[in-house]
Amino acid sequence: MKEIIRITIGLTVSCLIAALVMGSVFIITDKAKKHNEHVNVQQTMLGLLGYTKQHPAPSDLRLYTIYRYIITDGDTKTLGYMLPVLRGDGVGYQVVVIDLDGQFVNQFKLNINPEKASEPTERSSALKAALKPPKIFVYSDSTIVAKLGRKRLAYLLPGEFPGFKTFINVMLALDPSFEIIGLEITEQEEDPGLGAEIKQAHFKNQFKGKSFEKMKELHVVKEPLPEEYKKYLESKEGKESPIPEGELDVIRSKYQDQDIYALTGATISSKAVTNGVKNMVLKFAYRINRLEAVVSRQHVPVAF
Amino acid sequence: MPATTKTNFQLVSNGILNENPIFRLALSMCPAVGISTTVMNGLMLGIAVLFVQVFSSCTIALIKDYIHPRIRIPTYTLTIATWVTVIDLVLAAYMPAAYKEMGIFVKLIVAFAIITMRLEIFACKNTVPASFWDGIGMGLGFMFGMMALGFVRELLGMGTILGYDVLGFRPLLFFVLPAAGFFCVGIMMAMFNYIEVVYNRKKRAKEI
Repeated sequence: MKEIIRITIGLTVSCLIAALVMGSVFIITDKAKKHNEHVNVQQTMLGLLGYTKQHPAPSDLRLYTIYRYIITDGDTKTLGYMLPVLRGDGVGYQVVVIDLDGQFVNQFKLNINPEKASEPTERSSALKAALKPPKIFVYSDSTIVAKLGRKRLAYLLPGEFPGFKTFINVMLALDPSFEIIGLEITEQEEDPGLGAEIKQAHFKNQFKGKSFEKMKELHVVKEPLPEEYKKYLESKEGKESPIPEGELDVIRSKYQDQDIYALTGATISSKAVTNGVKNMVLKFAYRINRLEAVVSRQHVPVAF
Repeated sequence: MPATTKTNFQLVSNGILNENPIFRLALSMCPAVGISTTVMNGLMLGIAVLFVQVFSSCTIALIKDYIHPRIRIPTYTLTIATWVTVIDLVLAAYMPAAYKEMGIFVKLIVAFAIITMRLEIFACKNTVPASFWDGIGMGLGFMFGMMALGFVRELLGMGTILGYDVLGFRPLLFFVLPAAGFFCVGIMMAMFNYIEVVYNRKKRAKEI
C-alpha cells in the first residue's frame, strides 16, 4: 500500500513539474510565436505581389481582409461576409448576409476593433454578440484584397486542399481579372524528392500568368518539361537571368496557354495542386462576383 | 552497468562508432528508414536529436536520486516530451528561420527509442558531465548515421547532394521511396558490422 502511494505521488509530482515547465515556456514564447507567424504570412503575401526587402512595398499599399462565415438558423443556411467598410476616417467591419442563391438578406454593423479582427477569438465574440442564438456561425475562409492607392491590385487567397498524403496549404494571388499572379506553397508533407517538388520554382511558377479562361479547363500533361521553359520558370526566382530580355517574352507567350507539366514521379501531387488551384480560382470568382453585386446594390461603403 | 570509467573522448567516440545508434544498437529505425531521404533531412533530424538527447541526459543524471525506480520509464518519457516541447516553442518564438527548417523534425522526437534507452542505460547511473558527453556522442552518432544514409539515398535516388545536382540524372527513383530505406539501412548496417568485426579481430590478435 505504501509503495502504491509513493508511486502515485511520484508520478503526480513529475507530471506537475513537467506541466509547469511547459506551461511557463508556452506563456513566455506565445506572443513572439504569434508575431512570427504573422510576419511569415505577411512576407508570403508581399512576396506574391512582387515586393521583397530590396523592393519594398509602397506606403499606400493596403491589405483588407474579408472573412466568410456560414450562418445556420434552424434549417436555413446563409453566408455572412464580414467586410471592411469605411467608417469616418478609419476602417470598421460590417456583416452582409447573403442567402445561397446570392440574394441579399440583411446587414448589420459589427462592433470590433479593426486591429484585432485578425484574431479568431475576437471575431467570434463580436459575432456572438450580434447574432443571437439559435443562429450558429462557422468560420469558412478569408480573402485578402490588396489595394494600391485607389486601385485594386490583387486578391490573395489562402487555401487548403488534399494532396497525395495530407493537406497542402497554399497562398494564391489573383489580379482583378482573376489571372494568376503567383502561387506559393505554404505547408505540405508530400514525399521528399517526389511530391515535395511542388514547392520548386519550375512547378509552382507554371501557374503564373494563367488566365481565368484557361483556368476553367486546365489539365496536367505527363510530358517532360522543356528545357527552355524550365530555365524561364527558374529565372524569376534568382536575380541573374540566363535568358536574354527579348527571349523572355517569346517563351512566355509560347507557354502561356499550355497545360501544367507534371512532376516526374509525382503525377498525383501535380494533379492535386492543379485541381486544387483550379477549384479555388473558379469558386472564388463566382463568390466575389455575387458579393460584389450585392454590395453595389445595397451601397455598402466597402473599403476594398 | 556500473558507473562508467571511460574518458570524455571515449564516451563521444563510443556513440559514433562502437555503439552507433543506427548501425550498432539498431535503435530508432523508424526515422532511419523514413526521414533519411536527403542529406539535409538527416542533418536536421540529427541536430534536433542531439539537443534533446543532451538536455534529457543531463536532466535525468541530475534528478536520478529522486526518481522512484518503478516509475522511471514514465519519468523519462515526460522529460523527453518536456524538452521537445520547450525546444519547439523556443525555436518557433525566437528562431523562426531555423524553425521553418527544423520544426517538423523536432516534433517527431518524443517517440524515439534511442533517447529513452540512453537515459535508462547510461544517464540514470552516471554523473551529469559523463551523461553530457554520452549524449553528445549518441547525438553525433545518430546524425552521422542519418547523414550517411541520406547521402546514399539522395545520390542514388535524385542524383543530387544537399540539393546540388552532381550526377545530372536520376539513377534510381526507387531509393527515395520508404521501402528503399530498409535496403539501405540493412546494407550499411552489414558493412558497419563487418568493419567492426575485422578491426576487432586484429585488435584481439594483437592482445594475444
